[in-house]
Amino acid sequence: MASGLRRGTLEFCVLAMVEYEDRYGTEIVRRLAEEQTLAATEGTIYPLLSRLRRGGLLDSKWAESPSGPPRRYYSLTPSGRSALAHFRTEWVSFRQTVDRLVGTGEIA
Amino acid sequence: MKPNQPDLVGEYLHEVDLRLSGLPLLQRRELLADLAAHIATERTERNVQSEGELIEILERLGSPEVVAAAAYEEAGAPRTSAPLPPPFVPARPTRALRKGLWILAACSTLVMLFLLCGVLTFRSSGDGPAPAEATVAPVPPSPARPASPTP
Repeated sequence: MASGLRRGTLEFCVLAMVEYEDRYGTEIVRRLAEEQTLAATEGTIYPLLSRLRRGGLLDSKWAESPSGPPRRYYSLTPSGRSALAHFRTEWVSFRQTVDRLVGTGEIA
Repeated sequence: MKPNQPDLVGEYLHEVDLRLSGLPLLQRRELLADLAAHIATERTERNVQSEGELIEILERLGSPEVVAAAAYEEAGAPRTSAPLPPPFVPARPTRALRKGLWILAACSTLVMLFLLCGVLTFRSSGDGPAPAEATVAPVPPSPARPASPTP
């Protein structure tokens, strides 16, 4: 798949991961890297988390872990939440259009 | 025994750091701290004992080149702004020292060339005809007698 499309959508997968609960970096990174389709190496997700934080879509704070080194927890900010909501709407119509044009829609 | 484990991680982080010179200091520090925390967390949670397992963790993280490239992409910095050092230089004297040596070598080469040119010019102007002709391969004489067509 085109890497631009992949990269453009990966950040919303990140936002969705912390929609309901805060998660720490390693947790997010591991989960996304498990998805073969996304083709994201673990180490490349940290710069993405950094950009989302600098852009105000994510918040982060370091916290002690019960067992092991400190963890950096990420949470969704209000503007992150609205960016995610906006993406959901856009994505559905985008997907439908592409399906219609490329002929990948469900067989009726 | 955990042979060289801290060194391996330190070396990895250093290799990443080397490639981040074009990024703002705080972004570099942030990424290195994130990577270090990731490695430490993985080691604890997966109860890593052997160096082989540690290498697997680093491989999943990605090569320093790949990680640094992603950092530039996300920073929105033009990738050309950071001259990338050659991948994985094993022994490294300080970069300043190396740079100095290169400059010294380049300068002395230039001086030598300059002197050599001077000497040659001086000589050839004194000797009359330039000796360059001698080096030119002589045109081979035409074959003695090509078989002449019989009428």
